[in-house]
Amino acid sequence: MIIALPLAILWFGGLGIALLDGTRKPVGFTAVGVMLAALAATVTLGVDVHANGPKVMQIAGWDAGVGIALRADLLGITFAVVSLIVLTTALWFEVSRDVKARIFPGLVLFMGLGLTGLFLTGDAFNFYVFFEISMVAAYVLASYGESPRQLRAALIFIVVNLLGSVLFLVGIAAMYHNTGWLDMERIAGFSSLIDQNPAILTATIVFVAFSIKLGLFPFHFWLPAVYTGTRPAVAAILSGALANIGSYGLIRFGADIFPRELHEGAAVMLVLGTISIVYGGVQAIGRHSPNEVLAYSSIGQVGYILIALSIGGEAGYTAAILYAVVNALNKTLLFLAASLRGWVAGATFAVGAFSVAGVPPAGGFFGKMAVFQVSIDDGKPWIVALVFLGGALSFIYMFQLYRARFWINEEADEATTRGALGLVVAIALMIVAIGVFPEPLLSLSQQAASVLPERAP
Amino acid sequence: MTLLVSLCVAVIFGSAAYLMLKRDLIRVITGMILLGNAANLFIMAAGLRQGSAPFVGSASETSDSLVQAMTLTAIVISFGVATLVLSLVYRVYDSHHSVDLRRLGSAEAVQASLDDQPTGQDIRADEAASLGVTEERDVGVSPKGRP
Repeated sequence: MIIALPLAILWFGGLGIALLDGTRKPVGFTAVGVMLAALAATVTLGVDVHANGPKVMQIAGWDAGVGIALRADLLGITFAVVSLIVLTTALWFEVSRDVKARIFPGLVLFMGLGLTGLFLTGDAFNFYVFFEISMVAAYVLASYGESPRQLRAALIFIVVNLLGSVLFLVGIAAMYHNTGWLDMERIAGFSSLIDQNPAILTATIVFVAFSIKLGLFPFHFWLPAVYTGTRPAVAAILSGALANIGSYGLIRFGADIFPRELHEGAAVMLVLGTISIVYGGVQAIGRHSPNEVLAYSSIGQVGYILIALSIGGEAGYTAAILYAVVNALNKTLLFLAASLRGWVAGATFAVGAFSVAGVPPAGGFFGKMAVFQVSIDDGKPWIVALVFLGGALSFIYMFQLYRARFWINEEADEATTRGALGLVVAIALMIVAIGVFPEPLLSLSQQAASVLPERAP
Repeated sequence: MTLLVSLCVAVIFGSAAYLMLKRDLIRVITGMILLGNAANLFIMAAGLRQGSAPFVGSASETSDSLVQAMTLTAIVISFGVATLVLSLVYRVYDSHHSVDLRRLGSAEAVQASLDDQPTGQDIRADEAASLGVTEERDVGVSPKGRP
């Protein structure tokens, strides 16, 4: 029962809030309350899973293997908690300023439902359904604001991501055809028995589908166009919460279900990750509008996740999870803080910028250090050089952006309210806390990575 | 049978990809809907097996009911998304008076040139007015009769 509790809270809360006028403050704050309740339920579930091991719940009491199973392990819970934190912050941020469309709070709740569901499900097709719930919410959110530019951005977003969703659906059908199961644990059990060719093909389709979500190098073309047009809260949601589908999907379907194919494709992933880092960094330096710089920065940052994943092993997976978590928080902070004014906003932005560049007091340092460690252990010193280069590039574009936004251009896009400032300060403190006390997150990522099988030799 | 179905999927997928590369938005959307149908057919093909209706306890070989359930779900989802996309296309038409991707692209290019003023030399409102750039930084015709 407890696994379904966050989903139930978000589903019924979302239904109720969607009927009300979300532009009114009380409705908006009720939606924030619902998000906080779901977050609390997920954290409770996480504490339980941490103490007693993974939990499984068969929906509607079917026998194991027949019906759909919800499965909560630490990997899923970690991503669910981070996504809910990001969504809550972005929703609260928008409510504390001015909600422009009555459907906004309801949509954020539905997206929370989709994300939590897909992180906690144990069934591949159910994963697709939750994935679509969050994507549909994201399609509408991308057009939030409804200026001509945002409508165009939403159109690009839908066309490209629908392509990704269809590819993923085809991948699931292929998995079902090859193994005869939809249950992810059983697919993982049988995946090593699939013939080489269909297995590689299926793994590639799934990889492409998630790379489109993540905005990895050859599939990144939609990302700047969409992020540049959207409002800061939506950009934070897309890059901080929705992109988690990509990183979680790559870790779950790559490391858990297709470990052999992940190992075989490691070289390709290493190359793509490297290109992403360099390309994202160089492009970001050449841009001026803050959302565009941050969009290219996201392309660069996911490269590190891919590199950690391609090195693999428990240390590599730990680094990938740690980096994904820190990156989600960084991007949320930066997108939100860049739209505010004043020295407080400037200071929080600086924390986010240092974190992206990997400067010690901020959390991003430990993400980078984890990637460092695995690359040294793996005997690939050039990756260390690459991480340094990526950090240097991000330092340059972040400083350019800081200078342009907080030193030169003092006019605010919109009202800088006290509530909005409080939220970015809270996220900034969270990032600093991760940097000062990295041990809890480090051991959490380690335990989350331990649910994945060791890499096939 | 398998060959026939795979040929069908291939043809539909190919037509969908062709349509999605067109400039007309309506064709792009048609391509997206076709693409969803190709995927549905592919799911059916993943469990292609001839047999009687799958009732509990039926002795003879039954067809695979799971792929049918999955296809049904996928059809519903693609319906919903198609509706959403069509309404969005209408809104785009409403604000740009065009569904031609070239027109939308040129609006985007104008927007980008507005955004890409070098930092530190951001054009001020009075300078902008003299350059013929309006305060409204969003390019496109604003929807008529809307608040």
